[in-house]
Amino acid sequence: MADTSASSRRRNQTKPDRPSIFGRSLAARKMRFGLLFAAPAFVFFGVFYVYPLFRTFYVSLFSWSLLDEPRFIGITNYVNLSNDKEFINSVGVSFYYAIGVCVAIWVIALALALMFNQTFRFRQAYLSVYYLPAVISLTVWSLVWLFMYNPSFGLFSEFARWLGFANVRMLDNPQTAMPAMILLSIWKGTPVYMLIYLAGLRAIPGDYYEAAKVDGASALQRLWHITLPLLRPVFLYVVVISIIGAFQAFTPMYLLTNGGPGSATRVLSMFIFQNGFQFLKMGYASAASVIFLLILLVFSVVQFRILRFQQQD
Amino acid sequence: MSRKAQRTLLSLLAQSGILAGALVISVPALYMVSASLMNSQDFFAAQVKLLPSSLYLQNYIEVFSVFNFGNYLKNSFIVTGAVVLLNLIFTPMVGYSLAKFDFPGKTVLLLFVLATIMIPFTAILIPLFLIIRSFGWVNTYPGLVIPFAMSAFGVFLMRQFILAVPDDYIDAGRIDGASELRIYFQIVVPLIQPALITLAIVVFVASWDEFLWMLIVTTGDALRTLPVGLAKFVEQYRTRYELMMAGSVVAAAPVVLLFLAVQRRFLQGMAGLSGLK
Repeated sequence: MADTSASSRRRNQTKPDRPSIFGRSLAARKMRFGLLFAAPAFVFFGVFYVYPLFRTFYVSLFSWSLLDEPRFIGITNYVNLSNDKEFINSVGVSFYYAIGVCVAIWVIALALALMFNQTFRFRQAYLSVYYLPAVISLTVWSLVWLFMYNPSFGLFSEFARWLGFANVRMLDNPQTAMPAMILLSIWKGTPVYMLIYLAGLRAIPGDYYEAAKVDGASALQRLWHITLPLLRPVFLYVVVISIIGAFQAFTPMYLLTNGGPGSATRVLSMFIFQNGFQFLKMGYASAASVIFLLILLVFSVVQFRILRFQQQD
Repeated sequence: MSRKAQRTLLSLLAQSGILAGALVISVPALYMVSASLMNSQDFFAAQVKLLPSSLYLQNYIEVFSVFNFGNYLKNSFIVTGAVVLLNLIFTPMVGYSLAKFDFPGKTVLLLFVLATIMIPFTAILIPLFLIIRSFGWVNTYPGLVIPFAMSAFGVFLMRQFILAVPDDYIDAGRIDGASELRIYFQIVVPLIQPALITLAIVVFVASWDEFLWMLIVTTGDALRTLPVGLAKFVEQYRTRYELMMAGSVVAAAPVVLLFLAVQRRFLQGMAGLSGLK
């Protein structure tokens, strides 16, 4: 903008000048209306998302049951967490779940995306069917799978019987409860990542494949030397958001096993929920939330860089 | 075998593979609908039944008359409707300011938005609940709606779309002497209409499915949305699978209908949600 006041130029020689917001120039008017349009978002994201982030740290230094006055106890909550077998277990369970779900999703979703990147009959209709698990909510699917896992009249158990496994009790056995959860989550989670991959595949220019064909590259060579390398940023994005998503999973554990049997499916988000809202240990649950944040920080930073990179172009 | 025959065979194999995959994927959904129409004899038959012996609609009548699913459905529509409306009002405005204006604090706001996308919701659950509680919003509609009034991803999405609107259109409005509000409502909003529909779909689905927050913030039966209502039903009647499945069909139907009505845009929206172009 051309409009600059002399005083601000004197104050700051290096930075580009910013006109006064109260001026009559176009730049000043744009500034005022920019602020006006943005104002609700400042308040909203500030109050409901950014402030709570800091408040989590603050509350984690207190002992507080909501019913009494918060009592400052320093890092005691963190010390207690480090000695809490339930907490250590829940961190392990979260990693088990996240790795089990994510690795399968990365591969299956990519395979499906490669399939849907071809042209074949009824492609669009098939895409809708394959996407169906993602359309319906996790709550509904959790109940359907709870039903399917029922030992006496569930479809999954019946299928297992047909395969020759008698008396399959997926949700009652500490060894199989988590695999049951993982299977449900892979089934529900894959379609979304399939779509993300597919969007990435669509963005690869067709010329590359044409050129490779002219040079006599086989389909497998084209996949290995063109598709996969060009898909790397998409893959990175999928890895990061799938891990962040998997760590937050709560609904299936809450509805199918409530963290059990024993603590076999008590993931970190379940631990936070139970300590915070069932045992009313606000400070303790907040300390667990801080650890939860730290675990995901690495992935969040990568996601942040991807989004930042995008908003620059 | 000739090359052509080989190719036909391969394509046939691939086609049946795709079909088989589609069938396996739809089994749980079909089973849900089928079980919701079963009577208790079908359920406790010696052999697990795939299809009901007759179309037994009593389960649907029961979830609405004996149980509170009518009320849950109403609450789900109220909450989701309000969330979608608020998002449609606010996120394009904010996206517009981030795309086309330069104002003090813009970088801070962008940081706020990106931070909100990144913050795992679970990590702020407790302080967010404390804030809502201090507002006196526990077990009220505002408590269910307001934390989702603006989707950070929605803002990001809108900003990306509005960046593509040529500055010339906006400047032409200014030259003609239109006010900034008029430029926004009469030039920018009509140009981003497809994006607004995408936004509405994405927010509708997310809001309809929200479970954890609704579980925490509703303390009684009166304000429960369908996901929470279903969950509480299961806690009490863990063996009434036929009713559970009827309730599940009720909860799933609106989103499935929306999906069937606008499949292409739905899929585009969900791909767009990833934040990738």
